[in-house]
Amino acid sequence: MARVRLLSVTKHFGQALAVDDFSLDVAEGELVTLLGPSGCGKTTTLRMIAGLVEPGAGRIYFDDQEVTYLPPHARNIGFVFQTPALFPHLSVAHNIAFGLSVKGGKKEAMQRRVDEMLALIELSGYGERLPAQLSGGQQQRVALARVLATDPRVLLFDEPLSALDRNLRDTLKYSILDLQRKTRKTAIYVTHDQSEAFAISDRIVVMNAGHIEQIGTQTDIYLRPATPFVAEFIGANNSLAGEVIRVDGQGDEAFVVVSAGRLSLRCKGHPYGQFKAGDPVLAYVRPENIAVLGDSLGGGYDNVVEGVIDRMIFEGATAQLRVDVGGLEFRADVSGGQRLTLIERQGRVRLGFNDVTLIPAPDR
Amino acid sequence: MSRTLSRRRLGGLLSHAYVWFCLLMFVLPFIALLNYSFTGPQGNYALENFKYVFGSFGSNLVWSFKISGLTLVLNLLVSLPAAYALVRYPFPGKRFLFSGLTLPLYVPGAVLGIALVLTYNFTYRLTTSMWGLVLAMTVGTFPLMLTPLVVALKDLPIVFEEAAQCLGATRWQAYWRVVFPLIGPGISAGLLLSFIIVFNEYLVTLFVHPTFITTAPLRVFGLVRTAGLLPTTAALAVTMQLISFVAVIAFFRIFGTRYLKGTYLI
Repeated sequence: MARVRLLSVTKHFGQALAVDDFSLDVAEGELVTLLGPSGCGKTTTLRMIAGLVEPGAGRIYFDDQEVTYLPPHARNIGFVFQTPALFPHLSVAHNIAFGLSVKGGKKEAMQRRVDEMLALIELSGYGERLPAQLSGGQQQRVALARVLATDPRVLLFDEPLSALDRNLRDTLKYSILDLQRKTRKTAIYVTHDQSEAFAISDRIVVMNAGHIEQIGTQTDIYLRPATPFVAEFIGANNSLAGEVIRVDGQGDEAFVVVSAGRLSLRCKGHPYGQFKAGDPVLAYVRPENIAVLGDSLGGGYDNVVEGVIDRMIFEGATAQLRVDVGGLEFRADVSGGQRLTLIERQGRVRLGFNDVTLIPAPDR
Repeated sequence: MSRTLSRRRLGGLLSHAYVWFCLLMFVLPFIALLNYSFTGPQGNYALENFKYVFGSFGSNLVWSFKISGLTLVLNLLVSLPAAYALVRYPFPGKRFLFSGLTLPLYVPGAVLGIALVLTYNFTYRLTTSMWGLVLAMTVGTFPLMLTPLVVALKDLPIVFEEAAQCLGATRWQAYWRVVFPLIGPGISAGLLLSFIIVFNEYLVTLFVHPTFITTAPLRVFGLVRTAGLLPTTAALAVTMQLISFVAVIAFFRIFGTRYLKGTYLI
């Protein structure tokens, strides 16, 4: 158990910038996820925390101990890789005992610890088997037990579920979360899978092109994305480029009026107090926040737009409605009975929505 | 229908016959040698020749084993770090260097022998010591040891070493406990190939052996040259052949079943 701090960590591979000025403070017992597309530097960051990659600049601390240039074996960490990476020539029990045995552990103590770990991952009685005799999910659980056996200060996960099939991923991610909670270990978890990150994290770090886009809880990054990247990467979003026309009203009641193409949007909420007329902005509307209106008036919606149904994509529990609104494509997700009635529908339709997220447009 | 069937049967028969013919061509000389090695002084069958092998020729076999053993150890000690560096570390001209290191494979024994004699002349003690011979053998068989090790290391994902290090193993512990066992097939293949070559090497030995060392192959050639082909010499040759056979069979027995199944690629 330790607090993990990264201060302005930077890493280049040749000319390419892999991680850029990365700072993060992970509290004791917290599970923080590094989330981002492939090549965003999340794995490199994790490997620097493990000591497998040396940072080019910056510092890394476990509690008050600086570990920036410490080799991995001196850090007392637990690293779970994408593949289980169990030593194929050793039995499950010897794999679990490996970390204790290289530190010169006593035989009886190691045996006790192995039994304890096998019980923890619910694989008691599998100790004498070779890794090849276990299924993929069982192997990854043994890999987890192997790192927990050494009682590491920090648990590091590098997309540990990406090699498994979907059902297994779902059960295993909750086992990982349970084990982390039970052992109260500080954990840093790398993934490109949003649902995985949302399911297990205390906080999520969204990364892109080597730098941090946003650090926050699930609701923070979903409801209040800080950057256009986060708004577009997390979940689905309708993105509209526009310009602030004026700000109506004061305080909590203020509306920012934005023109986007031929549309004029009224966006509510005090966080937007900083905007003034003429600012270029990006406006985001979540598809699930768009209501498909009947012929009745769209009372109660700040914005009502009209368009032509382009196509309908039935996805089972929900359906995507693609609507062409004056040349802009809107996606509205509908669920319940409406998704069935809309299948037959064609022609014009009216959409109503309230929640619009405004983000200052990046300088070009 | 029956026509095609008989034609197929004929094809099968012919291919069988061909295989047996080839086998016979390969084995026949050895059978002749075997037969000759059991020929007694009066033209009768006798085991006496083999008593001679372990009596008078015993020291030659011991020298062969000694030279082979030392060569294998030295070769392994040089090749393991070399293979590791070649596979795990990036450096310019790697491919070129590896080609250069495998050069002794394509150099004729006589050329290697002359080159070594010339080189040893500058270090006069090597010419008269056992280590000169061991060194010569190591140079000659280095690529045979190196190549299987390089292949085995390339096949071994680096994640095993990283996992070991993250679990608290130092680089050396990771090496000895994880890498070394997992490249076992490569190590044993290198050992086998080198052993077969060194144990039976004649030409290079002829050039660089000190006067007090006569290995088994050297003795065979020497005897044939001076006394003609005697049944006792044939017995020594048969013994050498058997030792090589046993080495190969033992290799496939031990490593063919336990290691060569590629268990680590999961």
